[in-house]
Amino acid sequence: MDHRPQAWGRPRDDVYGAYDASYLHTNGPKTATQSPIVTGTSVIALKFKDGVVMAADNLASYGSLARFTDVKRLRPFLSTSVVGFGGDVSDMQFLDRHLTELAIDEAYEHDNTSSSSETPATAGQLNAANLHKYLSKLMYRRRNSFDPLWNQILVAGFDSSSTPFLASVDLRGTTFTSPSLASGFGAMLAQPIMRRHAATEEDAAKLTRDEAVAIVRECMKVLFYRDARSLDKYSIAVVTRDGVELSEEEQLEKQSWAFAERIRGYGTQTV
Amino acid sequence: MFRNNYDNDSVTFSPQGRIFQVEYAAEAVKQGSVVVGIASKTHAVLVAIKRNAEELSSYQKKLFPIDEHVGIAIAGLTSDARVLSNFMKQQCLGHRLTYGRNMPVRTLVDMIGSKAQINTQHYGKRPYGVGLLVAGVDETGPHLFEFQPSGMTEEMVAFAIGARSQMARTYLEKNLESFAACGREELIRHGLRALKESLVQDRELTVDNTSVGVTGTATAKDGSTSVEPFQVFDQQDVAAWIESVADDKEAGAGEGEAAAAAEGEGMEVDP
Amino acid sequence: MTSIGTGYDLANSIFSPDGRNFQVEYAVKAVENGGTSIGIRCKDGVVLAVEKVVTSKLLKAGANKRIATIDRHLGIVYSGMIPDGRHFIDRARDEARAWRDTFKTPIPTADLASRMGGYMQAYTLYQSVRPFGITAIIGGFDSTSEAPVDGEVGAGPSCGAGGKVPGKTYGGPFLYMVEPSGLYWGYYGAATGKGRQAAKAELEKLDLGGPAGPSLTLEQAVKEAARIIYVSHDDSKDKEFELEMTWISGADGPTKGLHREVPKELREEAERLAKKALEDDEDDEDEEEEKMEE
Repeated sequence: MDHRPQAWGRPRDDVYGAYDASYLHTNGPKTATQSPIVTGTSVIALKFKDGVVMAADNLASYGSLARFTDVKRLRPFLSTSVVGFGGDVSDMQFLDRHLTELAIDEAYEHDNTSSSSETPATAGQLNAANLHKYLSKLMYRRRNSFDPLWNQILVAGFDSSSTPFLASVDLRGTTFTSPSLASGFGAMLAQPIMRRHAATEEDAAKLTRDEAVAIVRECMKVLFYRDARSLDKYSIAVVTRDGVELSEEEQLEKQSWAFAERIRGYGTQTV
Repeated sequence: MFRNNYDNDSVTFSPQGRIFQVEYAAEAVKQGSVVVGIASKTHAVLVAIKRNAEELSSYQKKLFPIDEHVGIAIAGLTSDARVLSNFMKQQCLGHRLTYGRNMPVRTLVDMIGSKAQINTQHYGKRPYGVGLLVAGVDETGPHLFEFQPSGMTEEMVAFAIGARSQMARTYLEKNLESFAACGREELIRHGLRALKESLVQDRELTVDNTSVGVTGTATAKDGSTSVEPFQVFDQQDVAAWIESVADDKEAGAGEGEAAAAAEGEGMEVDP
Repeated sequence: MTSIGTGYDLANSIFSPDGRNFQVEYAVKAVENGGTSIGIRCKDGVVLAVEKVVTSKLLKAGANKRIATIDRHLGIVYSGMIPDGRHFIDRARDEARAWRDTFKTPIPTADLASRMGGYMQAYTLYQSVRPFGITAIIGGFDSTSEAPVDGEVGAGPSCGAGGKVPGKTYGGPFLYMVEPSGLYWGYYGAATGKGRQAAKAELEKLDLGGPAGPSLTLEQAVKEAARIIYVSHDDSKDKEFELEMTWISGADGPTKGLHREVPKELREEAERLAKKALEDDEDDEDEEEEKMEE
């Protein structure tokens, strides 16, 4: 009989056969995040003549459950840029804290009430292009350590030559830039609408602020109609050279669900 | 062996609250040949006198590019300067990689300041035996910094360090008001004139012993600005500049001495 | 300094027979040679000010800052060896950041003072290091409202943080001073550096303590701070100086809870009043002298 302490309380091998030790250690590689948990859906953004408009709804879903309905997914940075997050909400919160630290670091060197400065208050601060570069390095490093931050991020603001800037980075560190950008479902549903109005940088540079805001609001409506993980409460941010205007309590107006009556599965089932 | 009991290491305060080892390290800076730096609203220049060990040997370089937008001038232990120079190069490169921009000059200078301070507070370490003038441009314009072995870093309008540098500083103080509005060429000439003040009797600026380094902001015709990369000029490239200040040699030197004598100060000669 | 030459003052962390650590006392001497720093804790905020002696005409005016931001709501000014001060600032920023990482909330001023006091003290314990040649003044405004935890989702919990007594106020302006020994106290008004004696005498005249709390407002404190720096400046010994001032108010005050440089206009106004006050004092003294002669 086996008297080693390791064998205490175990079924005897000679009676029950050898214990299947494979249950004790799960083989295979060590894993980190394999899928997002609580998620935000699309973020959309469009450049215009004097800046960028960005919007995202206020929903955080747990699978198909509309779990949190007051989550703000647009975040201003140094009042010169806006960052929009799609994907995992806890990773968004991690990045939010990280960006707060980054902004505090920036404030060490740049006090915009500085008495001696002849240059604009924002000169020397991290602009949207710098921030996007930084986030892309961060996301790529995390994917290379097989522990990605499960987000798609849009960064809006201005570059060093003070022209409107818009770019995205995803959980793999892939970067992309375009006059209009949309993550998640928005890439299928909102992007074609935005491209109809601003297919090129030149087209976008002709859009006025009001036009751009109207297009983005229209896209949010389409997304709410078509995306089952979306909400009719959303946030919209406008970045211009004057700063960031962020409204987090927008409501989709004039909804019409009449068309849905003809769709099988809508409303209470009678058949 | 020692002058007193308090100067054996950099972790002992004298009863007056001084740290002699750090003060001695500052003396090493005065052993190096003179370097001058000046910043205007558009440019930052460094000029230096090079020494050769013997008639047939080459001249020790004094100016080093750090990154596209920063260069340094050194006075003191060249090998210590190389350590700092390599460190600065790496930091600039790292910053460019993560943020996609030129590192702000003050941030860079603060880093070597912090690095040098550590050497003055721990047993078994010694202070760096080198002083630097750091010239660079960033989004807030051209800058000139002085770095001392104590870890002290200060932004200057113009400065000179190294052997007999007091004469050069006297010249700079006299012309202080005019620097801000100076163009590139005028700034270099001011630098060379300051340098001449510090030359020992019957020594002259030659194409062999003179180095000039320039960086600045270049404004294009459409009003956009770009960085004029830091570049070091030697040999025939500095001939025209030396020639351009050859005429006012007598006048300039005489004037400087007279003024210094009149003020009854500024004649302190480095050992 | 009777024990100079007995050997007990040659290394840090060594006690002399009468229980003193001379190296720490010498570090204090380094502080006493530095430009004057002061801090005032008033009714609705904190003001920090420093006298920066202009050591060279070639220094770029206004470009070399001496008061550092540690976190949004915290500032530190120091007197003594400036590179040591930079190190101290770096460490304070690390502490503030680590606190945020751990607790997801800004570090209270008292806790930063405690951490930094501990850090300074550690440099008095070993022969392998020397004490800091600075005395630092830490000013901060801890949020009086229920501060949201960083990165909270939506509006967050409606009940607020636990353990708080209803009706009682939390947060407010705080001021601490840390010495080379690591010793630190909270202050109503703090002064260090060359002109500390004169500055302390002036601070004591202000209404900063008392059971009813200070009556001095932030704007008055800025003007007093400027005046005190001017009063404590010894112009027979030193050349020119530059005045640098920062302030921190609550969320409803002029800086919105942030550590900020005092705006140029206000600083210049404060300096004008300070110079005027000095002239008036001198006139008074002259008059008195005249009277005496009579």
